[in-house]
Amino acid sequence: MKSKRATFAGVFIAALVLVTMRVTSKPVRAADAPVTYARQIAPILYKNCTTCHHPGGAGPFSLMTYADARRWGQQMLQVTQIRYMPPWLPEPGYGDFADNRRLLDSDLKLIQLWVTTGMAQGDSADAPAPPGYGERWGETWQLGTPDLVLKVAKPFTLASSGTDVFRNFVLPYPLKQTHYVRAMEILPGTPQVVHHANLLIDRTASFRRSHPNDWQEGVAGMELEVDAGPAFDPDSHFLFWKPDTPVLTESAGMPWRLDPGNDLILNMHLKPSGKPESMQAEIGLYFTDKPPEKQPMLLQLEDDEALDIPAGAHGFVVQDEMKLPVDVEVLAVYPHAHYLGKDLQGYAILPSGQKKWLIWIRNWDIDRQSVYRYRTPVLLPKGTVLHMRYTYDNSGDNIHNPNEPPIRVKAGNRSVDEMGHLWLQVLPVNQRPDAPDPRYLLEQAWMENKLRKDPRDSIALFNLAGAYMGEGEYRQAIAAYQKEVAVDANDPRALTALGVAYERAGDSQQAVDAYEKAITNNAEQIDARFDLGRLELNQDDGLHAEQQFRAILAQQPEDAGAHSGLGLALLKEQHPDAAQTEFQRALQLNPLDATALDGSAQLAIASGEPAHAVDLLETAVKQDGKDAEMREHLAMAYAQVGRVGDAAAQLKAAATLTPDDPTVHALLSQVLTTTGQLNDAILEQQKALHLDGNDPDGWNNLGVLEAKAGKASEAREDFEHALRLAPDHAQARANLARLQASAGNH
Amino acid sequence: MNLNGTPVTTLAPEGTRAVVLFFAASDCPISNRYIPEFTRLRQEFAGRGVQFLEVYPNPDDTAARVQQHAAQFRDEASVVLDTEQSLVRMARVTVTPEAAVFLRDENNLREVYHGRIDDRYLAVGSERPHALHHDLEAAISSALESRPVPQPGGPAVGCAIVTRQP
Repeated sequence: MKSKRATFAGVFIAALVLVTMRVTSKPVRAADAPVTYARQIAPILYKNCTTCHHPGGAGPFSLMTYADARRWGQQMLQVTQIRYMPPWLPEPGYGDFADNRRLLDSDLKLIQLWVTTGMAQGDSADAPAPPGYGERWGETWQLGTPDLVLKVAKPFTLASSGTDVFRNFVLPYPLKQTHYVRAMEILPGTPQVVHHANLLIDRTASFRRSHPNDWQEGVAGMELEVDAGPAFDPDSHFLFWKPDTPVLTESAGMPWRLDPGNDLILNMHLKPSGKPESMQAEIGLYFTDKPPEKQPMLLQLEDDEALDIPAGAHGFVVQDEMKLPVDVEVLAVYPHAHYLGKDLQGYAILPSGQKKWLIWIRNWDIDRQSVYRYRTPVLLPKGTVLHMRYTYDNSGDNIHNPNEPPIRVKAGNRSVDEMGHLWLQVLPVNQRPDAPDPRYLLEQAWMENKLRKDPRDSIALFNLAGAYMGEGEYRQAIAAYQKEVAVDANDPRALTALGVAYERAGDSQQAVDAYEKAITNNAEQIDARFDLGRLELNQDDGLHAEQQFRAILAQQPEDAGAHSGLGLALLKEQHPDAAQTEFQRALQLNPLDATALDGSAQLAIASGEPAHAVDLLETAVKQDGKDAEMREHLAMAYAQVGRVGDAAAQLKAAATLTPDDPTVHALLSQVLTTTGQLNDAILEQQKALHLDGNDPDGWNNLGVLEAKAGKASEAREDFEHALRLAPDHAQARANLARLQASAGNH
Repeated sequence: MNLNGTPVTTLAPEGTRAVVLFFAASDCPISNRYIPEFTRLRQEFAGRGVQFLEVYPNPDDTAARVQQHAAQFRDEASVVLDTEQSLVRMARVTVTPEAAVFLRDENNLREVYHGRIDDRYLAVGSERPHALHHDLEAAISSALESRPVPQPGGPAVGCAIVTRQP
């Protein structure tokens, strides 16, 4: 015991000595080495300030030289002490973000010491080399020549004075092919007046169509809604640009997609400078050949309905919460409010009850808003509840209040309206490989949350139904679409989607009714005509299908899908030459049109050119490896040219995709027979019959295989099975007779 | 001196009732944002015997630089380069933008106001969407009407004037 205590005492004394040494060393250093620009200040400025504050940069003045730093020393002291600069809103310790721009307390102290002790230059040999921003920074592309440059159609002139301007510029995507974007850069034209910009993808060009006369000049407004179209294709990326990060590079495996017909919308926050500014922004896009390997998704918490703030209210709170149906990693967060937002909190309550902060901004300022990306993704397990809690100040004390005197304020798109959104970019993780796309479950949770707040929210009903469709819950999808049709007065698009849901649920007649009602309600409802045409093709009604596709082409002559649909209809009506013309036209418009590739391949096989069919179908399978039917067709083409091994591989892949499809197993059985793998062939044929036992041909084929394998009694039962189902089955009868004769011989 | 290099001998020529000095810096963003407001005031009080002068006190604001700046901002105000910073001392201003109002008594100028132009900025980084109180405008009006001149309701916000090295 004694010795132990002595040891502790010894350690204690040693520690004391260290502390004393540290304390005494300080004044010596300060006296010997005053804070100088060269040694301490230049490194701080180069690290934290000059990305904006350099000649031509977004900052209003340069801080690249000693003379600059001296000129702005008093200002630097003032704005760093109050943490106005560098712009960084999140509270430290509430979310660990990459690109954290908060100055260290020690840096603040150094700036203060330097300014108050006379701003000494020091020995310039001590200063680090200044970072290079290039002569024409802000006018040239940082990542080199982009693969595609889009430019706003007409220059916009920002007035010299007045309140801030929020404007939306439309940039149509001009290419005829889909591209994946790995990086984006914006040259705003006049970086010093651009606070920030958000880039939105308008999949259906809806914003441009709703502003036919003024989209080229740009349209005023802080936020906008765009029509996402009928397919499930949730927004997945924050395309947020601010002056100090002119290049937005996506993480590996997570590019974003642009399709023909898409528009990009540049939503800009502009601040008058005192002189009129003419600007014409350009966007540079850098492509990658690789489609995304990971599919993130944006989720939104909000309660715009509850956002109704009485005039003068000090601490008005808006909250929302949502339970996660799957494990996710949160990659980034974007809190958003207008001028009345004060205290913005986002956090998660884990299933364990533990509270995990996502972000806290105590003193919101729209001028300094940003997307914040986590240094490491934040894992939130299934069952976690996401929370948003925003507090608003609609009193005269809030100097940002745009209304004087304060008035009642509701949610809206103008700067005098308010907003309260917490956006999260999440990546579903820990999924079983065969589970359906987890984004459907996230969409379902999100939309159910919206409907809890407003049961008649037609967009939420439509999206909820879409999520059910993705999950394969067709009956629930039908119920949701029916509600939407009831709320939204027979919206033709909901009717079209309802038709698809009926079709998937196996109710063709109801599907036809829904499509026809959609077309009656809106003759330009191309999607309904397309789906009806497709359904009629499935019902072998080529004549009616042809009418649908021709009606679409009368409105949109360049619709590749309508040309290939018409081709299939003509094929059904035994007009192969006319069909070929349509397939070729479709492939001119879209070289990857799957229907046209498939149809042309059918024609190639029919005209004795199976090798050409192989080429066409390989292109189609390469484009979409998840289309089992296409793989079947490719397998058949391989079989025609004698590549039975390849054929078997395609069918095995197809069987993995659609394990419940008896046809695939039956075809695989046939191919395995030709390659002599008799036992495997029997196994596949048995699987096919297990899935669909009402197939006399199938039983007959199984009998043949088993007879070959020497299993006479099994074969006999199979032929008899076929004959029970189809007493007139000639082959089965002949095979049975042959089997009995052969048995008699032995 | 003015932009031609001619020394300015009198701020208040014959017939002037008041002089308004607007201290500006070509590289100060807040100062620049106030140029349209200064222009507005000049036009509002035109013909009422008020001499408006834009004063550039910082050493880096040379005649050439201020001329280029005026062209960019389409600024037609009369400009004085305060090369000795005598006007800074006379007006007792410390930042740009900041203004001073003088009334002419016989051959003397008497300062009745110096400080902020309006209350759009409460501090650097603390900005209203638009001003609620136009302090300078109220001061000029009162001065011309011989009423007591209201004083600024808050500090002038902007960029510190750079002291000339002696």
